[in-house]
Amino acid sequence: MKQIQRDGLLFELIDELTDYGSWCGETHIQKATYFLEAMMGIPLGFPHVLYKHGPFSFDLSDELASMRADALLEWEIKPEPYGNALKTTSVSAGLKAKVPRTLARYRPAISFVAEKFGTRGVKDLEKISTALYVTKEAPGRGCEARARRITELKPHITLDEAKEAVCFVDEMFREAEPVIREIE
Amino acid sequence: MRGTAKKNNHEIRDPIYAFVHMDSSEREVLNSVPVQRLRHIHQLALTSLVYPGGTHRRFEHSLGVMELATRIYNAVLENGETDILDIDGKYDEMYYLRVLRMAALVHDIGHAPFSHASEDLFPRDCNHEAMTLRLIESDEMEKLWAMLKIQTEDVAKLALGRDHPKKKTFSNTEAILSEIITGAFGADRMDYLLRDSHHTGVAYGRFDHYRLIETLRVLPKAYEDRSKEPALGVEIGGLQSAEALLLARYFMFSQLYFHPVRRIYDIHLREYLQAWLLGGRFPVDVTGHLNLTDNEVMAGIWRASKDPDLPGHGVAKRIMMRNHYRVLYTRNPDDVLKYREAGLAIYTAASAAFGEENVRHDRPKIPASQVAFPVLEPDGRIVSSLLKSDALRHIPEVAVDTVYIRPELLDAGRAWLNENRENIIKSGSELEDTA
Repeated sequence: MKQIQRDGLLFELIDELTDYGSWCGETHIQKATYFLEAMMGIPLGFPHVLYKHGPFSFDLSDELASMRADALLEWEIKPEPYGNALKTTSVSAGLKAKVPRTLARYRPAISFVAEKFGTRGVKDLEKISTALYVTKEAPGRGCEARARRITELKPHITLDEAKEAVCFVDEMFREAEPVIREIE
Repeated sequence: MRGTAKKNNHEIRDPIYAFVHMDSSEREVLNSVPVQRLRHIHQLALTSLVYPGGTHRRFEHSLGVMELATRIYNAVLENGETDILDIDGKYDEMYYLRVLRMAALVHDIGHAPFSHASEDLFPRDCNHEAMTLRLIESDEMEKLWAMLKIQTEDVAKLALGRDHPKKKTFSNTEAILSEIITGAFGADRMDYLLRDSHHTGVAYGRFDHYRLIETLRVLPKAYEDRSKEPALGVEIGGLQSAEALLLARYFMFSQLYFHPVRRIYDIHLREYLQAWLLGGRFPVDVTGHLNLTDNEVMAGIWRASKDPDLPGHGVAKRIMMRNHYRVLYTRNPDDVLKYREAGLAIYTAASAAFGEENVRHDRPKIPASQVAFPVLEPDGRIVSSLLKSDALRHIPEVAVDTVYIRPELLDAGRAWLNENRENIIKSGSELEDTA
């Protein structure tokens, strides 16, 4: 995937997350991008490690900063007690317009993830993205085993919360199947 | 009665912190071959060709990082908040202090000659972090970790942090401890800004590190949708010193680290090393790595600059005579709005017009400055730094996109660019959207 195409997909994701009511801080973008790669199979090329609260890509973090340097993204500062979110700009809208075919191909997958994530808070996203991480770590492992693995990796998540997150991811995989087929 | 006990605590004089402290066991790590080798690796590669004072080495930087990491660790633990680190009753403060100090001391041992400037010359699938891991796990260092009663894996995790080549998982505690070395307010960043500023005479790198360290806290990123994810933040009283650090970073990046002449010397140095090294790549076995320092390379450049029959003669002479390539094009915000890869388009067109061997392109990936962090208000609320600080909201991210040309072609190159610049950028922006 060319850089301009990858940029266009990230802007589309940020726009769609915002449209679906997401608060769209960096954590929201991080977790949604992880789902686009690890669940929907879009080759964005951001390697994730399991960090403090779930999968995190330092390359993506650097890229978001670089996009701010190039006026493609900007901070949106929300009133106390909240903080900073990211939004696209007129420059990034212009760039998006240059990759219509790429957007047409991957938009269903982006919309699918954005819709699922739109109203979810960061704490929820941390749990379900960790659930996807352990699911990908050892495919075929049962719900209970994956939930226990989550609590082992992240002690602040309870077993019940972990089970709920694993079920959510399994259900999301089922719902995602036709969307994934569409983009292949 | 005269004391006969052997001295166990030692002080090493340092121009930034007055003294760096260590005990006798830690001094054995300091005296190991991988750490002593850092006496012969420049912190700033060939920067002294631009800023003559910039001749300091990674050895003193590593000592400084160890000293600052200790001060940060003590301040953070003293300030509490450890409940959000998933710390259970088994957490051993002294054990992790030892691991942290040793990780700080060895965090740079995998650097090849001239550090970052030559990073691309490691063979595929290797880099200085992978070399650091290899050395931490080497027989010599394993014996020292065993003597200190610390786990090799713990040292590696904290030393390498986010760049750990094995993509480890990090608990909250491990992530915060590694950030004490490598994070936005980490000891590595604080030390290189202060030390590089001191040696080069570029005063922008200074900031009040005493105040900053005293006010560092581990806080939840509550401002981000009520997240409980812990991060290094500051009490409100430390906000100005945090601003000063991030401004110092911005100024040092734009004035020193990414100075265009400094950067072209990095490129020329890589070209020389490609000609000089066996197969054009650094050795990655432990012995080969330890045997190669800046000294061998500088001696090679000196000889090659005088002998046309030696590999790399042309570029060696260019370095010694300071006849570096000159800036033809530098990043322009207006161009970026038209086409993000304007520099690449100009480089490609200039290569076609003047020959690839006469043109160079520099578009480094620059890590994010991380201006968003939690700030603790006097009433206990935690808010985003960006909400509290106009200065932080407006610190630009550094971006570099430079095209260089052989000095003899500079005038012709400038005339050519004046004539073709707009068309080149326009045609670059009209690339086809194909898979």
